[in-house]
Amino acid sequence: MLADLRAYGKQFLRSWAATFFIFIFPLLLLGLFGAIFSNTESSKINLHVQDQDGTPTSALFLDILNGTGSVNVVLVDEGADLQAYIREKSATAALLIPAGFEADVYETLAGNRTGLVNVTLYADPSQAAAMGIAQGAVGGALTGLNFALSNTRPVTGMDFEPVAGAGLTAIDFFLPGILGMTILTTPFFGMANTCAEYRARGYFKFLATTTLRKGEWLLSKALWYSALLILAMFVMIAFGLVLFEMTLTLTPLALVIVVAGTMMFVSMGMLIGVFLRDVETATAVANAIGFPMMFLAGSFFPLETMPGALRAVAAAMPLTYVNEGLRATMVYRNDATALVHLGVVLVLTAVFFVVAARAMSWKGK
Amino acid sequence: MVKETVVEVEGLRKHYPPDVKAVDGIDFEIHAGEVFSLLGPNGAGKTTTVEILEGLRNPTAGQIRVLGAVVPKDYARIRKRVGVLPQNFDPFDRLKARETVVYWAGLFERSLQKKEVDGVLRTVGLTARADALAMHLSGGEKRRLGIAMALVGEPELVFLDEPTTGLDPHGRRELWQVIRDLQKAGRTVLLTTHYLDEAEQLANRVAIMHKGKIVAQGTVEELLEKAGAGRWIVLSRPGEGAWEAVQRLGLPCRREDHGIAVHVLDIRRLRPVLGELTALDVDLGEIATRRDSLEEVFLKLVGARLEEGEIRA
Repeated sequence: MLADLRAYGKQFLRSWAATFFIFIFPLLLLGLFGAIFSNTESSKINLHVQDQDGTPTSALFLDILNGTGSVNVVLVDEGADLQAYIREKSATAALLIPAGFEADVYETLAGNRTGLVNVTLYADPSQAAAMGIAQGAVGGALTGLNFALSNTRPVTGMDFEPVAGAGLTAIDFFLPGILGMTILTTPFFGMANTCAEYRARGYFKFLATTTLRKGEWLLSKALWYSALLILAMFVMIAFGLVLFEMTLTLTPLALVIVVAGTMMFVSMGMLIGVFLRDVETATAVANAIGFPMMFLAGSFFPLETMPGALRAVAAAMPLTYVNEGLRATMVYRNDATALVHLGVVLVLTAVFFVVAARAMSWKGK
Repeated sequence: MVKETVVEVEGLRKHYPPDVKAVDGIDFEIHAGEVFSLLGPNGAGKTTTVEILEGLRNPTAGQIRVLGAVVPKDYARIRKRVGVLPQNFDPFDRLKARETVVYWAGLFERSLQKKEVDGVLRTVGLTARADALAMHLSGGEKRRLGIAMALVGEPELVFLDEPTTGLDPHGRRELWQVIRDLQKAGRTVLLTTHYLDEAEQLANRVAIMHKGKIVAQGTVEELLEKAGAGRWIVLSRPGEGAWEAVQRLGLPCRREDHGIAVHVLDIRRLRPVLGELTALDVDLGEIATRRDSLEEVFLKLVGARLEEGEIRA
């Protein structure tokens, strides 16, 4: 079995594509997410404002808006056609302070006018994050203006802390998902291809003429991918520590989940490779299963943000339990929950392994 | 002296539902130290037979003993004493030739010293390519590497399933030499092929398979004799009008590269036919004789020609 392990390992490491997807690709994703979410400046958006009122009250409102720190106010000439300006600049958010804004405010304060005095926010609904920031900033600024006009001050406020305790950065939350994605892609695609190739090229029959047993061959693959993914995990953590001052905890349970998840996807890949006769078809089927699973199992987006139907689909994805287990133990330090997820992974591993091992025949009929 | 029997096959059948008879009741023996060839077109049942002997398929019926073990039941007992080169073999792309030999030896629970690895590679003529990745080897080199893998366990019996299929003439010749060397080293070889010349050149004994049956077996000489083979009178580079003149004699003849071949079925008629030819008033070119080959034997037994593994009417 050791001879097989060594030979398979050498072949794997000599494949640039395989090495890229296990070591380089996850780091690229981590770097990307780290750059996007670790820098608070980057969450500011440009808010294009046309002040058609040009009064002290509208100026006060703009001061308060600037003070929110969430937007960069870009002033638009008051004579410009705002709709045309938005199209020309591809602006994601713009604000119109209408002429007569101050007059209406004072009329309302004097009791001569009913209803609210509104500004108009234009935003691109497809850019949900930018729209949310613009809505929050404008809403906050209006509240501030209301307090100023009524000569009162806010009494309550809010402190912010990451959910799993102080010191955690955005990358701490992303790493388990990226790790889960790598646990899916490397052994799953790798084994689907390997099994299909071994069948197509007659290697299984050839191996059957040696003293190597089928179980030993399978075990050597599981050991190889487990060792590789543990190494990949250490590389990812080191990368996060050095570049993004990541602080998440590497727990023994995380290692167990990595190994169990690897075994599960080795078995799943084997199952696909066993039933498909050529590498091209196996790759296509593995992609068709693997890529949706990657997105639906919460590798990149929290499951809570998904619609109900998709959440039900996510619950049926084996990767969900790897991702959630890793997050529970590495981010939230909640080993009890992580153990439940690990249990699901182990049961699925046993089922996939037994079915695949039974379906796989090295000999002819 | 009675030679030890290494392989005994009796009444071997392999049927697939509903009515495919891949192997349909064959008997043969292979003796120690000989090259035994199963010769036949694609689909004749050669590979099925070999894979049954290798313990890779279960027979429908029949008695098989390989190196004294009942196959497939006791194949595990003799696994280390058998070397296998499968059909259409292609080695692992990203392993070097040397690493491949070491790997395969490991699968036979053997740990080879560098000297031993060099020895195996030398046997198959791959010393200069020892550190090349298999994906960079030529077709012939890949097959030779396959033979090296078959030899790592120092097997007494080697199964070579169509080892030269798809190779160019140079690659085939190189591989033939490797097989001759195996024979000289005293190994027993079961060689399947659809090349008549390959069987004729390499095999001590040949079994011709067609549609799952063995239609004839024996040494090449025995097969020629059994088939009532005759002689060919070959006229090389004859002059103008020779072909028409020979045809007018009414003798069985055919055009060949740069010449004419006249078939004489009864060897006693050789001299009179030669007399008839030389009496012709044309330039016959150089005259030589040669015996029938397995090609004619196959044609007589099966009623069709065998070309590139396919039957041609």
